[in-house]
Amino acid sequence: MTPDDTTISLSIVLLAALTHASFQLSISVLTLMSGHALGRQTARRRLVNMIGGFAFGAIVMTILLLSFAAYLFGSLLPYNIPLLVWAVGCGAAVGVGISVWLFYYRRELGTVLWIPRGFARHLESRAKHTRSATEAFSLGLTSVVSELLFIFAPIILSALILLRLSPELQLFGILMYTTVAMLPLMIIGLLISNGRKISRIQKWREANKHFLQFAAGGGLLILGVYIYSEFIIVASALGRM
Amino acid sequence: MGLAVDVVKRSGKRKKEAFNPDKLQRSIHRACLSVRTPEGEAESAAKRVTHLVTLWVATKPAVTSHDIRRVVAFHLDRYHPDAAYYYLHQRRIL
Repeated sequence: MTPDDTTISLSIVLLAALTHASFQLSISVLTLMSGHALGRQTARRRLVNMIGGFAFGAIVMTILLLSFAAYLFGSLLPYNIPLLVWAVGCGAAVGVGISVWLFYYRRELGTVLWIPRGFARHLESRAKHTRSATEAFSLGLTSVVSELLFIFAPIILSALILLRLSPELQLFGILMYTTVAMLPLMIIGLLISNGRKISRIQKWREANKHFLQFAAGGGLLILGVYIYSEFIIVASALGRM
Repeated sequence: MGLAVDVVKRSGKRKKEAFNPDKLQRSIHRACLSVRTPEGEAESAAKRVTHLVTLWVATKPAVTSHDIRRVVAFHLDRYHPDAAYYYLHQRRIL
């Protein structure tokens, strides 16, 4: 693999992570949990611990999901990734991208997401009853899993790309993906910890929800089409089927 | 203490319950605290808004929880716009 290939691969992982970062479920759950904690007059130190626990849970689950996907593909396809697998990954990215454009937010006020209502009720209830950093950690884990319907596409494509890199760069790629994907969550966590009002944050999120929806869907479409043209059309033209 | 007014829940699936001003006051108080309103101000806003909503509810045989939320937000907006926004939208975050 040439340095150019490495740069391209890491850039693709970066774009996938940015797309992941545009998804809002974990941020919604963090906002709800913090709002309930403030409403109960939770001490600032405990609130900061809860926010830290939540963010740590989301980070751990993101690392686990990406590592698991990469391990699975690496074990099942140890020598070469067939074009069919790339095609499935690209199809998933394009499909999810269009779905995000059409369905990500429900057509109502607020930032209500198009996730199964059972999941949403469970997360709402847990966010309301979370009182310690340990419970917040578990809620962070669950919130990432609940968004799997949307984040599986960038995770799968990143895992496939990471397999092309050397082990050190794979580790770097996983850390880069996680850092970028979790950046908005960490920023919101810091804002709340530093005394910003939940209502202001929520107003900003509501005002910009369509831009974030467009960015997430557009990012996935670009990712799918780029990988399809780079890895499938070019490989087919070179006869590497 | 409950008034003889039924509150119909949001989904319509849960049982109706009697309107309870204390419960309403607690929820408004919490919404104010959630947007970092000082304790005294939160308590006073919650009391005033609960009083206004209780007067409104007393003229009706039944109300929906959504209507109560809307009317609370309307009155709370005069005292604390951030809390009013949060109160109205907290069920629309997820």
